[in-house]
Amino acid sequence: MIFNYLKIGFKILYRQRGYSLLNIIGLSLGIAVFVFIYLYVQSEFRYDRHWKDDDRIYRISTEYNINDQRELVALTPFILSNSINSHLEGVESVTKIFFSDPSDVNDMSTLIYNDIVYEVPDITLGDSNVFRIFNFDFIEGNAYSALEKPNSIVISSDVAAMIFGEESALGKKIKTHIREYTVTGVFEKKGKPTHLFFDAIVSVNSLNEERLGAMTHDWFWMSCYTYVKLKENIDGGNFEYDLNEYTNAQIQNFIEQSEVSIRGVTKFSLESIKDVHFNTSLLYDNPENVDKLYLLVFGIIAAFILLTASINYVNLATARSLKRAKEIGVFKVLGAIKRQLAFQYISESLILTTLAFIIALSLVEILMPQFNILVDKNLTLVGSLFSSDGIVFGLLLIFLIFTLSIISGYFPVFVLAYLQPANVLKGNRILISKHGETRFTTAGLRKFLVTTQYIVAISMIISTVIIYQQMMFLKSYDLGFNSKNVMVINLPQDTAFRDRANDFFEDITNNDDVLMSAVAGNIPGYTTGRMMYYVNDSNNIKTLSVFLVGSNFFKLLEIPLMEGSFFVERPNDDSSLVYIVNKAALDTLGERNLVGKNLIGSTGTSGEVIGVVRDFQFSSLYNGINPLVIMFSDTRTRYLLLKLKDGCQQDIMKHINGVWNKYNRTQYLHYTYLDDKLASLYKGDYKMLSLFIYFSIFVIFIASLGLYGLSSFLIEQRTKELGIRKVLGGSAKSILLLLAKDYLKLVLIAGVIASPIVYFLMSRWLNTFAISTQLNVWIFIFSIALVLLIALLTVYIRARKVIKERPSRSINFE
Amino acid sequence: MIITNGLTKVFKSEGVETLALKEVSLKVNQGDFIAIMGPSGCGKTTLLNLLGLIDEPTAGKYFYFGQDVYTLSERQKTELRKQNIGFVFQNFNLIDDLTVYENIELPLIYLGWKKKARNERVAEVINNMELDHRQKLFPMQLSGGQQQRVAVARAIVAKPPLLLADEPTGNLDSLHGEEVMSILGRLNNEGTTIIMVTHSQSDAAYSRKIVHLFDGQIINENIIKGS
Ligand SMILES: Nc1ncnc2c1ncn2[C@@H]1O[C@H](COP(=O)(O)OP(=O)(O)O)[C@@H](O)[C@H]1O
Ligand SMILES: [Mg+2]
Repeated sequence: MIFNYLKIGFKILYRQRGYSLLNIIGLSLGIAVFVFIYLYVQSEFRYDRHWKDDDRIYRISTEYNINDQRELVALTPFILSNSINSHLEGVESVTKIFFSDPSDVNDMSTLIYNDIVYEVPDITLGDSNVFRIFNFDFIEGNAYSALEKPNSIVISSDVAAMIFGEESALGKKIKTHIREYTVTGVFEKKGKPTHLFFDAIVSVNSLNEERLGAMTHDWFWMSCYTYVKLKENIDGGNFEYDLNEYTNAQIQNFIEQSEVSIRGVTKFSLESIKDVHFNTSLLYDNPENVDKLYLLVFGIIAAFILLTASINYVNLATARSLKRAKEIGVFKVLGAIKRQLAFQYISESLILTTLAFIIALSLVEILMPQFNILVDKNLTLVGSLFSSDGIVFGLLLIFLIFTLSIISGYFPVFVLAYLQPANVLKGNRILISKHGETRFTTAGLRKFLVTTQYIVAISMIISTVIIYQQMMFLKSYDLGFNSKNVMVINLPQDTAFRDRANDFFEDITNNDDVLMSAVAGNIPGYTTGRMMYYVNDSNNIKTLSVFLVGSNFFKLLEIPLMEGSFFVERPNDDSSLVYIVNKAALDTLGERNLVGKNLIGSTGTSGEVIGVVRDFQFSSLYNGINPLVIMFSDTRTRYLLLKLKDGCQQDIMKHINGVWNKYNRTQYLHYTYLDDKLASLYKGDYKMLSLFIYFSIFVIFIASLGLYGLSSFLIEQRTKELGIRKVLGGSAKSILLLLAKDYLKLVLIAGVIASPIVYFLMSRWLNTFAISTQLNVWIFIFSIALVLLIALLTVYIRARKVIKERPSRSINFE
Repeated sequence: MIITNGLTKVFKSEGVETLALKEVSLKVNQGDFIAIMGPSGCGKTTLLNLLGLIDEPTAGKYFYFGQDVYTLSERQKTELRKQNIGFVFQNFNLIDDLTVYENIELPLIYLGWKKKARNERVAEVINNMELDHRQKLFPMQLSGGQQQRVAVARAIVAKPPLLLADEPTGNLDSLHGEEVMSILGRLNNEGTTIIMVTHSQSDAAYSRKIVHLFDGQIINENIIKGS
């Protein structure tokens, strides 16, 4: 019986393959996009959701306001965790993990085993409680004691596999360029997405007090992430209150004891470990954190794409079945035959829907690598299906298949039920009574659906244009220095290299393509540290960003001097401090003129300011230009900057590799172009741009398909009327407009509704930048006009035949 | 006014060929009132479709005031049709969504008349057809006879020299049929050329000439009244 229905269904679908194809394509694209977004959003919500007792784990962040400079940072002072441990109630354990710059992807750490050098993306330091709070699975070693002893290192299973292969890692000795460590544990990182980004962690007591220095007791030196796990039934809010009460007293003490006077308020806040990934407001935080608002927007987009694809599918199916019903004269059939018909239609839909799902999931599987590149993730369809929440996903898919099949199969039969001779189906409404008083109306619903789908489409397109414009704006923005053709080479930190560094510099610059070179400890685009300075009045101490650079730095980057002079090379025994400041620092310190004056640091260091440079954008454009003090140093350097001749990128590498290998047998060469590094600051935004471009295309395509379906419906219903109008002299244009008019109106309404929504969301996004383009009204008008045009074209494509053919096709003297 | 030369129409559907019209040559003078009669399926409607430029013949020529109309483009034919030909159908073919007034106004809109001129002309026709009280109603709220009066009003609103009518009384009772026929007679007296298909002898009595069609061919032409 059912087999029979399916057989006939296949036959009919094959006969109408053009239509079947269109319908399947629309639905499967919609499902595919939905699945992609679903997997993406789901993956973001998996961050830090797997820790044991995660509702008791908090990260502590710091808000400080020192002499009227306010900052929100994810870091805390070193001393915080110790204080909590010894002075506060309600804590099960507390731990600190050192800051290491997660944005500095090129700054790989190295581990040496058996004289072979391995690179590890991120090695940090932590105290012995790290693995008490974060219950990573340990493949080897004991999580609780792994970081207790000095010179212990715990590595991820990936690192272990890279260095030791199949061998056991436990107890093995590995070196960095500074000291030797014993592997005390191997943890599994896979399957537990987290904002913690380390691949290896070293026990913090490997460093002695002396090396840590003032950091251990300075309440204003932010150096570590602090996490607490509270005891059961301890309220986070109360704990936060107690914490601040205690630390306020401590900080007051610290200020009184220090030489400089600081008017400061520091507030520590607890945030649930589950929320950390969604916090984008803090400095020195993981750059992979995402704003929940964007995920919400993505989720809404996904839901609407699926909804519109489904609606379109039903509409198209209905238009088709109605046409067929007319052909076979179903208008007069009743009762049992109608039920049979319903079964037939539903089996056809079931075939189509199932096919669409198979195609959609295949598409997802095939395009997954590309999508992963796009969103910088490692998603798998199978992985999602067989995960803990995969059952929900699977059930959702099955539910969709059946709902869609039944609705799209049954709806036409339902409509036909109203098509008794007395009732006339007209356009998109069904007139039940002869006098037009009682109306069964689906027009409102349809209008609502079309409008919603165009609200999404227009929003996507306007947003895409705005994002594009902003990215172009950032690209063309004058940063105040010239980053063109500047290569940045990461310098090894070991003494073996240090001793020969000058020879290395000489060799490497000895090439016609190298126009200039400079060394630096900091360069624009990388995270910088901050310190506090004052000029005369220690009451007026301010936080300034700090750069360490060698001579030539300003000339190479073409940063102009406003006053005073640049750094010059000095004899090795001259260790006096000299500073150059930027214009913003002048303003912050409230000084007209600084050249010749001394700048005094909170630790008591003092040096002369010899010059002022024009402001340059040394951080990303999310921030404005902060006050900056630049210290001279040609020894404490991490980077070598080379200004290269235009167009020599290919040839120069041979030279650089050659020189590098001569000097560094145990280090890999890491280099980047400054332009690339600067562009990478906006990686997330570029990612969003490409996602939006793709989504826009999908959404407008699906919406057009829907409009195509609706036009079909309309044309099926109004064939006779169109014929009459043509006979009466209606031109092709007037008939196209007649068909499209209502839809164009809806698109316009959608545009009017979409605009303020987009304005709100995009303003919010643009506000994350210190500089941004204006939201120009023309972007809105242009986008809406574009969508109107596409809508008109869509109706035209569907109506073309009807419009152009002779009126006898649809009407004659019968 | 109209000269056709060997008009032939063959329908092809699903491999079957139907010869609907076979070399029909007809001459219509200005002011004529011609009734086309013949059994069902003999090609009357097909002929009217061809004369009304609604369809194209398989062979043959059609001159309208000397103009060889089948050489025109679809757009030019639409232009010619809306200026020159009015249509009355057996099943009225009114647009359900539009009111009586709007239905009648439609041809003038397509002709690009100004609003004021349209208002005046539609009012005049509505008055003529005694539809004054019904102009705001929808077609479905009218009786058959009233609907056909609306259709005739629409057909003549643009004052076309030629009126084509396919069984205009076919769906009406005799009283209403009579009413419509007398309107057509009056129009003819006022100078409109009319070609009408009918089964009814009494309707045919309003015409000046009867053309008998059989199996797609003209078998004879009777002149009833001197013209
Ligand atoms: N669109 C069409 N397709 C196929 N055959 C048609 C079509 N229209 C009319 N015919 C055939 O042409 C012949 C003449 O039809 P028609 O002109 O409608 O006759 P009448 O109006 O005299 O009853 C009939 O045999 C009819 O079946
Ligand atoms: Mg007929």
